[in-house]
This record gives sequence, structure tokens and C-alpha cells, in this order.
Amino acid sequence: MLSYIVKRLLGAAGTLLLIMAITFFLMNAIPGSPFLTEKSTPQSIELANKKYGLDKPLIVQFKNYVFNYLQGDLGVSLKMQEGTPVSKIIFEQGKFEISIKLGLCALALAIVIGIPLGCIAAYRRGGWLDGFLRVITTVGVAIPTFVLATLMLVFFAVHLGWLPAKSNTLPDFKSYIMPVISLSSYYTCYIAKLTRTSMLDTINQDYIRTAKAKGVKTRSLILKHALRNSLIPVITYLGPVTAGIITGSFVVESTFQIPGLGKYFVQSVLNRDYTVIMATTVVLSALVIFMNLVVDLAYKIVDPRITLTAKED
Amino acid sequence: MKKPNFAKVSPFVVDPQPIEDAFNLTPEDFAGTTMEERESIVEKHKSVSYWKDAARRFRANTVSMVALCIFILILLFAFIGPLLIPYNYEDQYRSAQELDPMKYSDSEQVVLKAAKNADAFFATVIQPGSMTAIRKGSYYIQQDGQTYAFTVTKAIEKTILVYRKDAENKLSLVKMKDIGDDGTWTESTPLEYTDTPEADAKEIKLVTGIFPHVFGTDSSGRDLMARTMFGAQVSIIIGIAAALIVLIIGSIYGSVSGLAGGVTDFVMMRIVELIYSVPEVLIVLLLQVVLKDPLQNWFDAHKTGIGGLLGDLGTGIVSIFITFALLYWVTMARIVRGQVLQLKKQEFVTAAHALGASKWRIIKRHLLPNAVGALVITTCLQIPSAIFLESFLSFLGLGVSAPMASLGSLCSDALASIEFHPHRLVFPAVTLTVIVLTLNLIGDGLRDALDPRLKK
Repeated sequence: MLSYIVKRLLGAAGTLLLIMAITFFLMNAIPGSPFLTEKSTPQSIELANKKYGLDKPLIVQFKNYVFNYLQGDLGVSLKMQEGTPVSKIIFEQGKFEISIKLGLCALALAIVIGIPLGCIAAYRRGGWLDGFLRVITTVGVAIPTFVLATLMLVFFAVHLGWLPAKSNTLPDFKSYIMPVISLSSYYTCYIAKLTRTSMLDTINQDYIRTAKAKGVKTRSLILKHALRNSLIPVITYLGPVTAGIITGSFVVESTFQIPGLGKYFVQSVLNRDYTVIMATTVVLSALVIFMNLVVDLAYKIVDPRITLTAKED
Repeated sequence: MKKPNFAKVSPFVVDPQPIEDAFNLTPEDFAGTTMEERESIVEKHKSVSYWKDAARRFRANTVSMVALCIFILILLFAFIGPLLIPYNYEDQYRSAQELDPMKYSDSEQVVLKAAKNADAFFATVIQPGSMTAIRKGSYYIQQDGQTYAFTVTKAIEKTILVYRKDAENKLSLVKMKDIGDDGTWTESTPLEYTDTPEADAKEIKLVTGIFPHVFGTDSSGRDLMARTMFGAQVSIIIGIAAALIVLIIGSIYGSVSGLAGGVTDFVMMRIVELIYSVPEVLIVLLLQVVLKDPLQNWFDAHKTGIGGLLGDLGTGIVSIFITFALLYWVTMARIVRGQVLQLKKQEFVTAAHALGASKWRIIKRHLLPNAVGALVITTCLQIPSAIFLESFLSFLGLGVSAPMASLGSLCSDALASIEFHPHRLVFPAVTLTVIVLTLNLIGDGLRDALDPRLKK
């Protein structure tokens, strides 16, 4: 178990290094300089390049990035908040916190709503409730996040005025409702579909029939015997969900004007603020990679039959 | 769960006829079968090919068939629709800004009024859409087998051109304000014309009525229905092309990896795993910005051939294709490799090998036909995900840009005036949702039809 974790962490470090390399060379391939403004002269750009070490060869710059990151130094912002340390922008100005809160709420909602819905649909298989849920979930996975977000914005914020249109720093419960629902709807529906399928698979297995024959009540049959085994595909899916929620947060954060990490990443790319691009990419990627590791470990807890050391494709 | 339908009669009791009858055989009982009997046996046991069987299963699936029909309707809407409506996705029609659905602009209403007078007159717009003005230049009209050519030396404003079938001077200009509610007018200026148009003359088409702006117009006066049709076209083309790119790269990579095995397989799969764990959207956003200028330069340098073709699509769309080619093939590669590994071990492949079949023949005759189901399903389900990605990028302002349109960019454009004109969001958004929904359902149906083992 421990050796597996160490191995995975090493792999994660390798992946992060690769991501840093890709990001570094891609962002340096963006035409234009971060210091190019209406007032800038070639001299001022050169001066700024020198100040932030952008005049050095790319390989040296990349090496500096890697060494600084290893020491926990994310550099200073080049443009958007010139001179401010990037770690301060991300972690102290509440951007990371907001995005994490939003993402975790959406993830929790998707799990808490999606799994029971899937169980109910499987239990009532063929009934009207199953049919109704199937229609809802099928439509739910076909609506893009931004469509749902904007429609909710128009309906609940503009027309009915029930909920705030701009969630800003997410001060209260109300301002969470629309961003979280629009962020999680796709995954709620997908998890419900997944749970239903895998629950039906499990229900038809022999040990469930045995339990039924021994007189286990339906309720505990589903909750205790069947659920555990049918959760495995759902857990597998949680890795991609994390990546997807980060993607969705780009849209949701710009629709509801939430100053989170996703919105800031898009802005930093458009502004060519190299250090910020690099830092947000690494932080978000690390989040996804970490989540994938957690998912793989969660397997082990849910299903002891899975051996982690023997890696089977 | 349905109970298996056990046969009511045991298969061992063939015929409950008396035992003594069974031994009373005549020479006729040993006669050879006639041709008809043989044919009926062949007919009864006619082998059904894999594809026929799959098609039958697909047709039996009501949901997928309905989805397929709706998708075909959307294809007609997107690809045939633009030919039927008089508006263009990129033209900005004068005085037609900010119209609600099913409305006409002021100048179009005048033409509508004039068109009521159809008995004696034939009302026409000078240029569909921008009816209020006719610019300097030479024009001609073809009507009743005759050509009427005329030259305009000064731009004419707020006037429509009228063709009168029975009048002496067939063409005349009528001021829009002079046209009454019943479509008649008292004052008109005859237009001088000849029957030989000049070399650079433009043809003007006569119209008897005006098509409404069914979905309304945007703030620049572009017809939203034309734009939605065009956007759907762009989205569908992107989806299919991206899925094909993924199919080609993924299946080549996956089959090479699976067939080669050993160290090659190991290295190739580690590369796949690395790409798989990269959060692709972060890279996609970067790629979009990075590729914009180099692609534009390349298009400017290569105006003919493939460069011109891709240039028409625009940098946004081409960089989406590049993104798919770089990052999104890994799932396909994994599935293909899995299929190849699974099939490689099967007895019929060993048998073919033992019989001396060449490696190429094994791939062509045995591996490919067996893996094709999985390929079709994955490719089909890749289309909606490509459409999703494109709309996501366009929504963030990185995909296609005006006057080009995709469903994502239309939704994004609609956001600016969402409080007053929510319909501008609704039409493209609903189209997008229906496309993705029907493709998902068709994909599900294909999976059930092509791979019945998976059916739950």
C-alpha cells in the first residue's frame, strides 16, 4: 500500500513536470510580450524582460521555474497585478478558496443527489419513476453548463429576482445555489445513470438472491448489500468529474462573475501573464492528479478485491 | 427481470405418434429431398450478416429511431435550410436590428404592404434585406422572359423598385412613404431601361413577399435563423471531423501498440497515461491562444488548395481540430488496444495464423471486422463531446468569431442582451441541446445494436 502511494506520487511529480514543460513552451509561443502596451517602447520591454529574467534562454528560464517551484516560490505576477507574488494572488486573495468551495459543493451535490436517484431508478426499474428519471438524466447530460447557467440567471435572478445575479465572493448560502447547481447538474445526471446501470448489474448477482432468500429486507438489501459493489464504477468516474468541474468552473465563474481561480486562469492566458498561467495550471493540475490518486485509494477501501500493486490495463 | 421462457414441451418428445406407426416405414420415407424442400431449408436458415442483424436491432429500438429522425430533421435544417431562406448568416440587414421573432423591419413592412397589390403590380425589393437603398452601379432584372437593364448614377434611398406587368413603362420607383396600407400609391417615377445589361451588371431578383425573421435578428441586424442554421452546420461539421481525427489517430496508435506488444506497447501506453492525466482543458485554452496568429499567417501565405479551405474555416476551428489530434485520441487508443489484445488471444486468430494467413490478412479479415463495433460506438459518442468542447471554447470567446457563427458563439453573443432578448439564447441553446441529446441517444442505440453483449 505504502509503496504504491510512493510510486503514484512519483508518477504524479513526473506528470506535473510534463505539464509544466508543455505549459512553459506553449505560453512562450503566444505571440506578443506581456509587457506590450500602448505606452511601451522597445527599451521599456527590454528592461522589463531583464527585470523578470525573460531575456535568458528558454531552457534556463524553465530550469528556474522548476527549481523555484520545488522551493515553493511561484514567482511574481508580470502584468495583471504587477509585482505581487503569485502565491499571494492565488491563496491569499481568496481565489483558491472560492474555487475549492464551489467545486467541493458541486461534487458533494452530484454524489448526494446522483447516487440515491440512481438507486431509486434501479429499484423501481421499468416503473414510471424510472422512466421519468431516465428522461431527466438523459436531457441533463445534453445541456451544456453555460446554457443552464445563463438560463437560470435569466429566470431566477432577472425575472423572479429570487437569487442574486452576481455571486461575487459567495457571501451567503443564496449566492451558492445557482453556481453549484449549474456546475453539478451534468455530473449529477451522469452519476445517476451510472449508479442505475451498475446497481442493476449487482442486483442480478447470486449473493443478492441469497440474501433475499434469507429474508433480508429490501431496504437494507439495497443499502447494505448492493450499494457497496455498485459504487465501484461511480468512484472510477470521480476522477474525470474533478477535471470536469474545474472546466465547468471557467464558465460558471465568468457567468456569475465569481472571482475564482478558473476565471483568473482564462484572464491570465488572454493577458499573457506567464507566471500566473504557470501557477494556475500547476495548481489546477495538481488538484486533478491528487483527486485521481484519492479515487484509486478509495477503490481499495470499497472493494478489497482490487490489488493496487499489480497494475492491470 | 424477465423469466426465461422455458419450452412447454420437452425437446426429446419429437412427435407423440403411436409407436407402431413409427416403425411402419415405406420406401417414400427414404426418398431424397426435392429442390423446393431444399430451398425452403436454406430460406429458413438464411444466415443474417452482422450488419443486417445490427440494423434490425437498431430499428427495433424506438428511442434511437426517434432520435435518428430528429437528427435528420436537424441536418435538413442546418444544411438545406439556408438555401430556402432569403437571408445570409453574415449580412447585416439595414433597419432590421433587434427584431423579435416573426417580425419584419420597417422597410420590409412597406414591401409587404405593396405586395398586397399583387393583381396589377409586382412589388420588389432592390436588395433583399437592405431594401431602403440601392447603390450606384448597373443592374438588371429578368421577368417574363425579358431582360430589363438599368443604371443607377446616384444612390437611391428609401425607395422600392416596382415591376408592373401591364403598364407601358414596366419599371418604376416608388417612395416608401407613398405606399398606403392597401398597397397602392399615387406617385411614381418611371425608370429608364434597355434590354441589354452591361458587363458588370448585377442581377436583382424580384420578390412577391418577404420572409419573416423567424428567430428575430441580433443587434447588428443579422438574421438569427440563418445564423442558427449556419452555426448548427459549423458545430456538426466540427463534431464529425474531430471524431474522425480521433478515430484515425486513436485506432492506428492503439492497434500498433496492441499488436506490437512487449516494450513498444509498454512505452506507448505510458505516453497515453501521461496525456490522459493532463487536465486537457487547461492546455486547450493555451493552445487556442498560441495557435491563433501562426495559423492566420499560414493561411495568408497559402491561399490556394488546402490552406484556402482551412482558412475559410478560420483559426478557431482549425485549432480545435489540432487540439483533438493532440490530446483527445487517448481514450480511443485505449479502447482499440483493449480490443486488439482481447481478439489476439481468440482461437480463430490462432487458427488463421496456423493456416498460414499473413499478418495483414489477419488484421483485415479477423481483427478489424470484430473491432469495428467498438470503433463505431466510440466515434459516434465522440461527436457530441467535440461539439460540447467547441461550444465551451466559443462561449469563453476563444472558438469561432463573428461574422462566423457556431452554436456556442451564438449563445455567447446572446448574453449581452439576455435580459431583454432571451430568445436569442434560447434558439441556439435548444438547437445545441437537441443535437447533443439525439447524438447521445443514437450512440446508445448503436451500442445496443452493435454489441448486444453489453446490453443491460
